[in-house]
Amino acid sequence: MTAAADWRKLAVGLAGIAGLTLLFGQWTQISNATTVALGFLIVVLLVAATARLWVAVTVSSVAMLAFNFFFLPPFGTLTIADPRNWIALLAFLAVSLVASNLSAVARARTLEAVARRDELGRLFDLSRDVLLITESREANASLAAFISRRFDLDSVAICVPRAAEWVVFEAGPQPLTLDSAALSAAFHDLGADSGAAGAGSAGAGQRVLTVGPRSVRVVPLRLGTRPIGLLAVAGRSIEPGTFDALAGLAAIAIERAQFLDARKDADLARQDEALKSALLASLGHDLRTPLTAIRVAAGNLQASWPDEEQRREQSDVILTEVDRLTRLFQNILEMARIDAGAVTEDTRWVAASEIIEAARASVEPALRGRAVTVSLDSERLVRLDPRLTSAALSHLLENAAQYAPAGSPIDVTAGVAGEGLTIAVRDHGHGIPALDLPRVFDRFYRGANAGHRRSGTGMGLAIAKGMLAVERGRIAAENCAEGGARFTIIVPAEMK
Amino acid sequence: MTRKDRILLVDDEVSIQRAVAPLLRSHGYEVDVVGTGAEAVTAVADKAPDLIVLDLGLPDLEGAEVCRRIRKSSKVPIIILSARSGEAEKVAALDIGADDYITKPFGSDELLARIRVALRRVADAQEPEVERVQVGDLTIDYNRRRVVRGEDDIRLTPKEFELLALLAHNTDRVLTHRTILKAIWGANAVEQPEHLWVLMAQLRKKLERDPGNPRYLLSEPWVGYRLVSSPAG
Repeated sequence: MTAAADWRKLAVGLAGIAGLTLLFGQWTQISNATTVALGFLIVVLLVAATARLWVAVTVSSVAMLAFNFFFLPPFGTLTIADPRNWIALLAFLAVSLVASNLSAVARARTLEAVARRDELGRLFDLSRDVLLITESREANASLAAFISRRFDLDSVAICVPRAAEWVVFEAGPQPLTLDSAALSAAFHDLGADSGAAGAGSAGAGQRVLTVGPRSVRVVPLRLGTRPIGLLAVAGRSIEPGTFDALAGLAAIAIERAQFLDARKDADLARQDEALKSALLASLGHDLRTPLTAIRVAAGNLQASWPDEEQRREQSDVILTEVDRLTRLFQNILEMARIDAGAVTEDTRWVAASEIIEAARASVEPALRGRAVTVSLDSERLVRLDPRLTSAALSHLLENAAQYAPAGSPIDVTAGVAGEGLTIAVRDHGHGIPALDLPRVFDRFYRGANAGHRRSGTGMGLAIAKGMLAVERGRIAAENCAEGGARFTIIVPAEMK
Repeated sequence: MTRKDRILLVDDEVSIQRAVAPLLRSHGYEVDVVGTGAEAVTAVADKAPDLIVLDLGLPDLEGAEVCRRIRKSSKVPIIILSARSGEAEKVAALDIGADDYITKPFGSDELLARIRVALRRVADAQEPEVERVQVGDLTIDYNRRRVVRGEDDIRLTPKEFELLALLAHNTDRVLTHRTILKAIWGANAVEQPEHLWVLMAQLRKKLERDPGNPRYLLSEPWVGYRLVSSPAG
């Protein structure tokens, strides 16, 4: 309620009194004191019910004076002749005071309820925000930001003790500078570090710290009775009960983030297990078949029966299979290096043609007997890691050679434009079954219907993707409208 | 040998074909090579092989399915080549009627020995039904349902004799648990292998000199049992 509204109500009240005085004294000539008093009382009551106390008191005082002056004998003076009239006057004053007090209390309750509703609404909005936090790594920072936004606070800090240090997640337009000593002191002072539960009444577990010119309110965050940190806020004042509820909600949000973390770890562990068994199953076949061929062929070489040509044939089998095993181990090592984060970027200026040449050379045996057409948009140079890019490309070429029918051509197109280097490898095979499209880059995935048909290891495309990721590149697979599959690499890079 | 035995090698891996086919030819077999299950089924009709060496990782058909199709028209012995990961598929193929299996990576001698055993078994079966069979120092008399070691008569219960006779009719060939359970206790018993464990333990106790370290009644882990006709040692 504003001051202007108070003055307006005062004016209305006084006008009402003046109006009644005129009405009774001049126009209707009613001078029965009781009737006049009741009329005045109505005006006083109406004012008291809607305005503040001082307005009500002023209006009632004026009404009393007017009543005394105009309607109590002796008229025209403020003297009261009859002692009975004193009692009427006092009753008049008491009624107006009591009524205005009652209405003031009711109004205060309403305002408080509105404020409560407002803070409950903020808490509710915040709880919805909290549920939307899915990224556990960012959880505490986003939580601070949400609290600051929902409660219009200048600064919010979630402080979590880690070893001897405090990790502080801050949000809000005016950052706080909280020092660890003050936090530790507050943490200790609040009984949080001793594990004693905060006292029962609202706000009992809260403290005010002075940071420079500002006062910061601090409340411990607890999971059950276990303290996990502090919530510090500055800016708008928050009702203590709400502040406690806010701390509870923040603690739940932090706990939820920890659960998310734990679940993610469990998911990762499970994926790891699945990967390991896929690797084992894959090795079961991919190792045993070449080993069998090598063992039998080596046995044949030792035997007396083969002639010169047969010996050459058998040693060729051995060499081919050793190459295959070598490739398998290279793939396993590359994948392990990618997993371990041991692959790093080493950029230099390079032409697209160089990368394509290097990739073709490295998988030359697999491409034997195929026409590989290369078309280049431009000879602009790009700055990227040629080793990673050509390794990724070589896996795409090898993949195309494995899955497209023998002898069918492979088209490579490259361009330097837009965000960097784009290379597409297109084969003329049967394309990728729709079922397999979303999974082609999964490790050890060799197609739902492939069985053991292809000699691939199911690692090539996954490795290509992993290598490109190191240089922030992307890879995509699609089927061409005219048949065949197309894999596209995009590596963002400087160009000149 | 008036006629060369004919072997059908079914494997899609070119290297295996290139290494194994010359090996078999050098040992006096005629060899046909195919790369898919469908071709294998056709070749069984066209070439009438005496034995099939079947890889389980074929591109078109499951190994068990290939066995089933071949078994529809032919009793030709089938030796399965399996990688370790194909355990279930291997047992399924043996249940359907494959005769033996060999796990990759195998050596030439191992493969040739399995082939010889399987071919000999076919030859044996073509001779008139025998009344008794000699396994090591054991003589099994089918008619009188007796087993003799040297001079000693070994007393077997009817079920024990049935199990021994079943294995003796298939010497050197692996019989899966399912196959044995079905033959001796009927189709309802195939999910109750404990019958077989108990019976085999009793039989070994009576036949083997050292039941804990059997020489005749060998176990093929997770797959089945095999009666060895000429035990080592």
